[in-house]
Amino acid sequence: MADQILDKVREVAEGQIDFEGQRLAEFLATALLAIVGVISFIVGFFIQDIKLALFLGLGGTALTFALVVPPWPFFNRHPVRWLPVGSEVSSQSIVVDGKFIG
Amino acid sequence: MHSTVTRTQNVFGFFTTVCFIVAALIASTDFLFPRTPSASITVKDVQVVKGRPHYYSPKREEYASIRFSLSADLSSLFTWNTKQVFVYVTASWPDKDAANKSVRTNEAVIWDTIITSPSADHLQNIGLAAMRKLVASAKGKAIDPNRGKLELKNQKPKYQITAPTGKLAETDDVQLNVHYNVQPWVGVLTWTPQVEFGRWKRMKGGLSKVFSLPALKKKEEKKGEKKKA
Repeated sequence: MADQILDKVREVAEGQIDFEGQRLAEFLATALLAIVGVISFIVGFFIQDIKLALFLGLGGTALTFALVVPPWPFFNRHPVRWLPVGSEVSSQSIVVDGKFIG
Repeated sequence: MHSTVTRTQNVFGFFTTVCFIVAALIASTDFLFPRTPSASITVKDVQVVKGRPHYYSPKREEYASIRFSLSADLSSLFTWNTKQVFVYVTASWPDKDAANKSVRTNEAVIWDTIITSPSADHLQNIGLAAMRKLVASAKGKAIDPNRGKLELKNQKPKYQITAPTGKLAETDDVQLNVHYNVQPWVGVLTWTPQVEFGRWKRMKGGLSKVFSLPALKKKEEKKGEKKKA
């Protein structure tokens, strides 16, 4: 019982996402931070207000953290499908360097 | 990017890169804004008196107190990246026995002030009432170029100056000079340019006429007056 709870806590803390999710997270982090940087500079420059630029940059970064760091459901839409447990390996053909083994 | 920790590290890592690039861009915009400061300074009353560096000092030195009038327009120095501008007035003079009198070996600051941008008002080290007044003077403005306009009439110097020899009376070829130092939010400090640099022009004026320091002011006169009375 205690083990199960601990496992769940560990899972939530680790926040694992699937491979497609990792690709998406990487793209989101890079794109959002770059866009936030560009926007904060341009807006600050044209309004001539450096405080505004600073807070736009910090706010946008906080938003990026909120969007990318937690394991949101849209990062887990493509779960890896493993082979069923105990399935016969021999029925599958395993190819290594073009040769069938097993 | 598979776990919370790695995602945090990656986002933070790229955030620092973005920060650095945006800061570099902001610093480089300084070159886009023309700097065309001008100032005119005139010497008013000059006095040389005997004094000591501190209360318990046995050393007696001559101190010059130079009053001046300054009218300066430094408003072009205030852009979105200006944190504060340090303005200072120096007196300079050549050595008495120097062969080349155009080399001004001695230079001492007689007055200075800090002009903050509205974005840096909270950094001024002033009292509460003065701070309220300062903040209110630029309410709703991110930049206030009007603060760059100085109009001083017969201003008393902040610092009485002396020379390493302790002798200063009857010095010739003394000249007052207005300088500034722009301190940006990001970027490097810049002082009064000695050569024109792109849109940054040299200071127009900012030099007083050459003058001589008077002889030592004698205290005997006052004593004499007292005796008479």
